[in-house]
Amino acid sequence: MATMENFKCMLCGYEYQELVEEGEDKERSCPKCRSNSIRHLKARPSQDKTNGKGKKAKQ
Amino acid sequence: MDPEACTACAECAKVCPVVKPDEYQMGLSSRKAIYIPYPQAVPCSYILNMEDCLGTNPIACGKCTEVCEPDCINYDDHDRIVTRDVGAVIVAIGADVYDPTEMDEYGYTRFDNVITSMEFERLICAGGPTLGHFVRPGDQERPKRIGFIQCVGSRNPAIGRPYCSNICCMNTIKDTLLLADHYPDVECTVFYQDIRAVGKSFEDMFQRSKEAGTRYIRGLPGDIEENPENGNLTLIAENTTSGQIERHEFDMVILSVGVGPPKDLAKVSSLLTLSKTSDGFFMESHPKLKPVDAPTRGVFFAGFCESPKDIKDSVCQAGAAASRAVALLNAGEVHIEAITSVIDADACKKCGVCASVCPYSAITWKKGEVAVVIDAACAGCGNCGAACKFDAITMRHFTDAQYTAQIRAILAEDPQDKVFVFACNWCSYSGADMAGISRMHYPVSNRVVRTMCSARVSEEMVLEAFRCGAPIVLVSGCHYADCHYISANRQTVQRVQRLWNKLEKAGVRPQRLQLEWISAAEGAKFAKVMAQMEELRKTVTMEEIEQAKAALKPKPKKPKKEKEPAAVAG
Repeated sequence: MATMENFKCMLCGYEYQELVEEGEDKERSCPKCRSNSIRHLKARPSQDKTNGKGKKAKQ
Repeated sequence: MDPEACTACAECAKVCPVVKPDEYQMGLSSRKAIYIPYPQAVPCSYILNMEDCLGTNPIACGKCTEVCEPDCINYDDHDRIVTRDVGAVIVAIGADVYDPTEMDEYGYTRFDNVITSMEFERLICAGGPTLGHFVRPGDQERPKRIGFIQCVGSRNPAIGRPYCSNICCMNTIKDTLLLADHYPDVECTVFYQDIRAVGKSFEDMFQRSKEAGTRYIRGLPGDIEENPENGNLTLIAENTTSGQIERHEFDMVILSVGVGPPKDLAKVSSLLTLSKTSDGFFMESHPKLKPVDAPTRGVFFAGFCESPKDIKDSVCQAGAAASRAVALLNAGEVHIEAITSVIDADACKKCGVCASVCPYSAITWKKGEVAVVIDAACAGCGNCGAACKFDAITMRHFTDAQYTAQIRAILAEDPQDKVFVFACNWCSYSGADMAGISRMHYPVSNRVVRTMCSARVSEEMVLEAFRCGAPIVLVSGCHYADCHYISANRQTVQRVQRLWNKLEKAGVRPQRLQLEWISAAEGAKFAKVMAQMEELRKTVTMEEIEQAKAALKPKPKKPKKEKEPAAVAG
């Protein structure tokens, strides 16, 4: 399944989104400056607190 | 079936009640559950397809056994796994022909008289379903106007096949000559992007095809329409030579389909630790110097599975692969470079990380046991050494101690003026050489340390460079498709990602660590990257360098508490 992921070029600072297929093995380069220093920005964790099993923790 | 006992008398097939589409004839005729796979099969013996056979399930049929005089049918025979100890493996698993059902703009699924070049081969063949009488599937009439469409499933990035399939142009030219020879009244028209007649006598064949009356139109059709009354087809195409939109009516349209990597490629790839190119075919060890060798020692390629090629090239490659394999088998002893990894059994924590990152599966490990390096399989990328957190792996000639000494020596004086570069032996280091040989100008601030692979660069090596005051650290290696250690540089990416996170957490600007893929031919890129690194270096202040030194200082290890001797009772 493909998901939209966030990337940041560590040379020019350009941030962009790209569709990433599961198990994709692809060389990345910045769409703006062509640098290969591409940082994969992980999605921030949800504000909802969970108990680690996907269920909401008791407040 | 016992192939030696079978006399190919065909009595069994005559009585077999099962009728299935014949795969060899592209489904244009039928076969029985017991059949000869194709007319020239060697040995010429019937085979019994147990998936189709009614033999024992649900009700025993057994008609073939009743009529088989030599008694060569055995229902209890089954597939067996055969184990062989071999010294070399030649991979020649071929390719799969493109299935045009997904490109429905050419009407393959909608119109009976649109067929593929493979189906055409069967229709025109004397051993084919029509015994060589060329008829169109829609009404069994002989077609007189035939349109060929080239590059169906080739040179089309939109369907993930940007490469040329190499064989389709010459196959179509051959087909037009065949038709002109058998049926002089047939008119052939070929729609193409480029005719690639590269090879001995190929241009001659192309010219003969044109002289025989085949019309070549530069431009692929955009649409196809069928006349429901007579089944004729109209192709609408832009003739890019004249710039006109043209409509051409045909009795039959043949899609010249390309080829792609075989279905089993991934399975074989994981079995033999082989890598793939971006096209999905197997990647050779070196495109010019080792074109039949796989990166894994003792494995060689022949034919389509490495890249699309014609019969002549396949035969040449097969001969070369056989020669390479025989040379290896007859060598008596094998010499390998001493750049291999060694595991310190005392330091090993038996975690198995080294085995999981080895692209050659050259490290064996079982849970709870010390990992073991197979010297003959180890290619010396050093990925395991970089991944080991317990300093239990030493890479001969490229040890951690040697790298630490180099880092400290390079950055001993004026580190703030230097860009520290880790360059892989095969690509980036050669790229630096290329820049030098080509007399390219680039800033003199860089200091290059050679590693066999970018995956040899451990997190600790990068952190040590920052501790020694490096303002910028660049890790560089081969492009993905060029990695000389199958896929080791993917580990480099993961390691650099982790380092960016670590640096950020420690309050160090992560941009000070850079990653670049530079091939041996990219001297210009090396020079450009060095200029970029120099610009970046100028932005790093002395305060930043000092702050990084302090932030990345290794934490003193806590001394282990010695266990107190158990109190003696009483």
